[in-house]
Amino acid sequence: MTVPDDVTRLLAERFGLESGDPITVSRDRVVELGGALKEAGFTYLVYVACAHYPATDAEPDRTVAEYRVRRLPVDEVAFRVWVPTGESTPTLVPVFAGCDWQEREQFDLVGTIFAGHPDLRRIMLPEDWEGHPLRRDYDIATRHHPWR
Amino acid sequence: MAVDESGQAFTHPLYNVMAQLPGVSLGLTTADQLLTWGASNSLFVFPMATSCCGIEFMAAACGRFDLDQMGTIARGTPRQCDVMVIAGTITVKMAPRVKKLWDQMPEPKWAIAMGSCAISGDFYRDIYSVVPGVDTFMPVDVYVPGCPPNPDQLFAGMRRLQEKIRMRRNGEWTEPELRPETFGFKSPNLPRIGDPRREASLDEAQLDAVINLDPGGGLRRPDPKGSL
Repeated sequence: MTVPDDVTRLLAERFGLESGDPITVSRDRVVELGGALKEAGFTYLVYVACAHYPATDAEPDRTVAEYRVRRLPVDEVAFRVWVPTGESTPTLVPVFAGCDWQEREQFDLVGTIFAGHPDLRRIMLPEDWEGHPLRRDYDIATRHHPWR
Repeated sequence: MAVDESGQAFTHPLYNVMAQLPGVSLGLTTADQLLTWGASNSLFVFPMATSCCGIEFMAAACGRFDLDQMGTIARGTPRQCDVMVIAGTITVKMAPRVKKLWDQMPEPKWAIAMGSCAISGDFYRDIYSVVPGVDTFMPVDVYVPGCPPNPDQLFAGMRRLQEKIRMRRNGEWTEPELRPETFGFKSPNLPRIGDPRREASLDEAQLDAVINLDPGGGLRRPDPKGSL
């Protein structure tokens, strides 16, 4: 989906970022970018998605968190932030309240840590679960007694 | 305690109440048949519907098929139900909740595993969060295979359950249900206690196995001569 012209101008003038789908933003400016987009009319949070990327020669072990926001009826913008494993990214709950459970789900399944989240607990899996099953290094044969 | 003409003792608490009434003891054998008839024809169902099999259960309960014609009424609380129909995939997080609901149902109670997921986990079986069959944590009386089963198949399962109830009340042995074959699945298939096919050597072997576990409490095989 093409990025609207006013968003492209906003990114270039205020953030010095390149436009794209998704926009890649650093961890220290993601909250500012979310607030600016909300002021520009992108008030509807579509989803928060995370994925795990194992370490390569060029990059460390890391996860990516992607947010997609919409300005009704048609305009959509996605921005993503890379989070090295063991570090955290600031939460967007103060900007988009709908991030709350979505970020909890991504923390539960992928293990991305959202700093400043009001209630970062597991939401899908049992409370005593160990590990994050959608990570690439999760062993699929992990036993969970007494059920398997 | 009431005893009928063949010397068989009735232990149901209702018999003790009825035996105190004048002239009722003659009708106790008939009362057993009456209880059997009543239990098998008023099965209140607790629909443990977690996924698409629940839709087929709803179809079976609606007017076109009408599960009510067998005297089954779906109730929303386990405390009023006789049969739990597990219709759908049970996850590791859901399983303790299902077990708790099962424990809340009053005796006598029965369970029907409806659909491949409840029977064995089916193709979700190897996923980290799915329980491979509800009979890993609770007893199941009737398996209704299918993905999902038709309402007709659920009706056949309910009929089979009615047969089992009537046979059990009459004191006949009911064959254990065969779990439908699943790829790569091996079930132990040991005759349980009470099965006429169970041999004494199996009891001995299981006792040996327990003793060899050596739990540390000085567990010993009991002396056949009865000495302490």
